[in-house]
Amino acid sequence: MKLDLHNHSIKSDDGRAKVDNYCKWIAKRGLDLDGFVLSEHRQWDGESDYRALEDEYGLLILKASEVETEYGHVLVFGVNDDLVNAFDFADVRIPLRTVLAEAKRCGAFAVPCHPSRAIVGMFSHFDEFGPAEGVEVVETLNGGGRGTENDDAVHLAAQYGYRGVGGSDAHIVSHIGRCVTEFDDDIASIEQLVTALQGDRYRALSVDLD
Amino acid sequence: MQIDIEAVKKEHVGFAFDETTFDIKAETLANYARGCGETEARFLDPGHPDFRAVPNYASNFHGRRNLPENFPADILRSFDAGKCVENLAPIRPGDTITGRSHIHDIYEKTGRSGPMMFVVHRMEFTNQDDAKVAVVDWRLVMRLGEM
Repeated sequence: MKLDLHNHSIKSDDGRAKVDNYCKWIAKRGLDLDGFVLSEHRQWDGESDYRALEDEYGLLILKASEVETEYGHVLVFGVNDDLVNAFDFADVRIPLRTVLAEAKRCGAFAVPCHPSRAIVGMFSHFDEFGPAEGVEVVETLNGGGRGTENDDAVHLAAQYGYRGVGGSDAHIVSHIGRCVTEFDDDIASIEQLVTALQGDRYRALSVDLD
Repeated sequence: MQIDIEAVKKEHVGFAFDETTFDIKAETLANYARGCGETEARFLDPGHPDFRAVPNYASNFHGRRNLPENFPADILRSFDAGKCVENLAPIRPGDTITGRSHIHDIYEKTGRSGPMMFVVHRMEFTNQDDAKVAVVDWRLVMRLGEM
């Protein structure tokens, strides 16, 4: 199944897309997508309930977070109460080692996103801080990637032995589905997504929507 | 620019710093709607029984100050990061609208170009009957640190 692992709704300060409009867009365009993840910036959205939209559109809609570390931005899948209390999601200087360790302790999974992007990408900090320990997976394909960012991410992920996922990083509806992750196994919950990410039965895909 | 954001938040968030009144004229509402490309008569025709301001009209209001006095950032070095308008009741000709400003939030984020500080300037608008008609959040972004 194909999931877009990185998107933002109006819950994010820079998000301009309502979740129901993402669903309508996917249906209207007939996108080859089984679901998507909302990874709101610097917060955990514990309130929103998208089950009615899931039923209406036949999509899996999961929630995650995008937090900020000294190594750049990191997607966190499987956020729960323990993890919410482990560090301040609004802090823009959370140590990456804290995010990785606490995610692991709480049964979640952390994935540095757009890793080849300047300043907000993990690889851009390797010269200063050295390779990050404990990273297993990076977002090799990001829908907002410019120039050679995604090619560089694929190359560097292979060099460091990281597995890769894809996410659109959509902030407006028409950007969803540009980069996705294809899983060999079915996923029906955030727990199953975390389990899948811990394995290696998936791959990042870039989708030409034009 | 080095700013202690937590200290700035503590000093400025939640405190009103400006109050301005606006008299609403039919011709102004109609011209604004026309400028927006609106086509509905209730926004364009002052003779329409439900004539009112277009939904984004409150974003047109500006107070006398954009930031509180002594705010530690230069407005000339900031830029507009967008506005969010929440409409609560119609704005109509003849209304006298009062806008009260406060800093609703200040937060930091990191983007491709480096660290930034966002200031959310909230204006709450009430009419002559003290009914709240709109809330506008205006985000200002300021770059922090070295480029």
